Amino acid sequence: MRPGYIGAVVGKEVRDLLTNRLLIGAVAFPALIFASIPTGIVAFIQINDLDPEQMGQIGQYLAMFPDLPPKLAAQGFIVLNFMAYFLLIPAMVPMAIATQSVIGEKTARSLEPQLATPMEVSELLIGKAIASALPAVLATWGVFLLYGLVNGAIADPRLTNLIFNQVWQVTMLTLVPLICLLSVLLGIIVSSRVNDARTAQQLGSFIVIPIIAIAVAGFFSGQPSFSMQQVIIGDLVVAVLIGLALVVGNWIFDREQILTRLG
Amino acid sequence: MIEVTGLAKRFRSLTAVHDLSFTVGDGEIFGLLGPNGAGKTTTVRMLAGLIAASDGAARINGHELGEDSQRIRAITGILTESPGLHDKLTARQNLAYYGRLYGLRGGALREAVNRYLRVVDMTDAADRRVGGFSKGMRQKIAIARALIHEPEVLYLDEPTSALDPSAAKSIRDFVATLRDAGRSIVVCTHNLDEAERLCDRIGIMRGTLLEVDTPARLRRRNGTARVKVDLVGARRPESFLDLMGSLPFVSAARANDGSLFVEVDDPRGDNPELVRALVEAGARIIGVNEEAATLEQVYLDLVGEVGERDARTIGEVA
Repeated sequence: MRPGYIGAVVGKEVRDLLTNRLLIGAVAFPALIFASIPTGIVAFIQINDLDPEQMGQIGQYLAMFPDLPPKLAAQGFIVLNFMAYFLLIPAMVPMAIATQSVIGEKTARSLEPQLATPMEVSELLIGKAIASALPAVLATWGVFLLYGLVNGAIADPRLTNLIFNQVWQVTMLTLVPLICLLSVLLGIIVSSRVNDARTAQQLGSFIVIPIIAIAVAGFFSGQPSFSMQQVIIGDLVVAVLIGLALVVGNWIFDREQILTRLG
Repeated sequence: MIEVTGLAKRFRSLTAVHDLSFTVGDGEIFGLLGPNGAGKTTTVRMLAGLIAASDGAARINGHELGEDSQRIRAITGILTESPGLHDKLTARQNLAYYGRLYGLRGGALREAVNRYLRVVDMTDAADRRVGGFSKGMRQKIAIARALIHEPEVLYLDEPTSALDPSAAKSIRDFVATLRDAGRSIVVCTHNLDEAERLCDRIGIMRGTLLEVDTPARLRRRNGTARVKVDLVGARRPESFLDLMGSLPFVSAARANDGSLFVEVDDPRGDNPELVRALVEAGARIIGVNEEAATLEQVYLDLVGEVGERDARTIGEVA
């Protein structure tokens, strides 16, 4: 594995991405939406006192934050509950970038000249994976940071501490990059089988279903956030899926397969 | 130098190339001619270390195909059938990217990019995105990309397609200078005129090589050449046909529009005798020209023969 070749591919892909305004929008927009909805609710609660009757209805949730006053506890529940949706960014965005990248290469027939260089196929794929995953990881981390700071500023600094808790720090540092990698690999595999980016993204979008299911299940079970154990299990499951995707990807992205099937 | 021995490529039940053997020397341009599906692209992909051969062997400047494929790719330049450029990048960025992939860095990379932008006369458009380029401009950048690392071996698939005549000539001239610099060059083309102008030897291919020779020798492959004798005066050309029939070296003759068309075995040796016999018989000759077969005729004969043979085989099997 030679960093020079991987770096060249990453550089080219990033340049390519920076010229694609639509794709940059696709990176930024979901991240901002997922962050702004709960932030809006926090601001609403901050401005308007909650009805005591409503407080009674959510009493069981508020009891999860015994150290916080009821209003801040309600805000805490909201901000933590929405955080599962942060995992949608690493699931969706890298796939959009990766599918665009591979389908774009297929359409332009630019894979052959690249494979004719001394670069190995694995170096090309790793470069593409890094370039596709990096914007999503950075966007997720950036929005996570903003989310904590802005909500703390709106309500109370204790809300910032609640958001930047240990479980979410581990989630951001492990689960987010792993989901990004899985998303990229699925994007690349799906792209090898179809000829337009939209179809590839639609097929690949099944990856978000388990994440939405986890977020919704968390809401209905009354659990405001993940536990450390759940995050570690999530890391392991995603790691196994990455292994499977690598096996499939390695077969599909054999130099000869690319040239004779993907052109 | 490219040395190919018994090379074959099978894709499951389809045999794309079989029993392919030829050599391309240093400082030689070798043309591969053949119809679509003849196996030209597959051959180039095997020789460029892109796909593995099913059988046979090849050595590229001493490197064994298969064992040293990465090294072979490093010393090989390839112009693919489709330019395959990155549309969102500028011409300069495209070349710089490939320069990096071939191991160029820093000043050497910048110098190479500028040099090859000049070679293909694209310096003025260097910082424009190639997505807005015409076909010819894209082809020029693709050629520059194939040359950016000064390859020892070069494969060019339809190098002048989409180029205007003057750009095509400048590319042909440049390819000739690469030959003079000792590079081994393989040109795949459907353009017979270009093959004849550019190539030192030509291989006509359909699954395997049907014929390999210089363009001049290929034109004479049937063994006879046609000589046109232009006549003036009172006697009609038809009146000399009996005389032609009596000459032992003449295999056929006909008269048409004031001229005699005579088929001889060896024009250089037979023409003086032919002229002498005609003059002695009272002919007034104003011109004698050898009319060799065109490369197109040879190509169509060869490819047609194989096509007919294939059709017969299919018919027999059916």
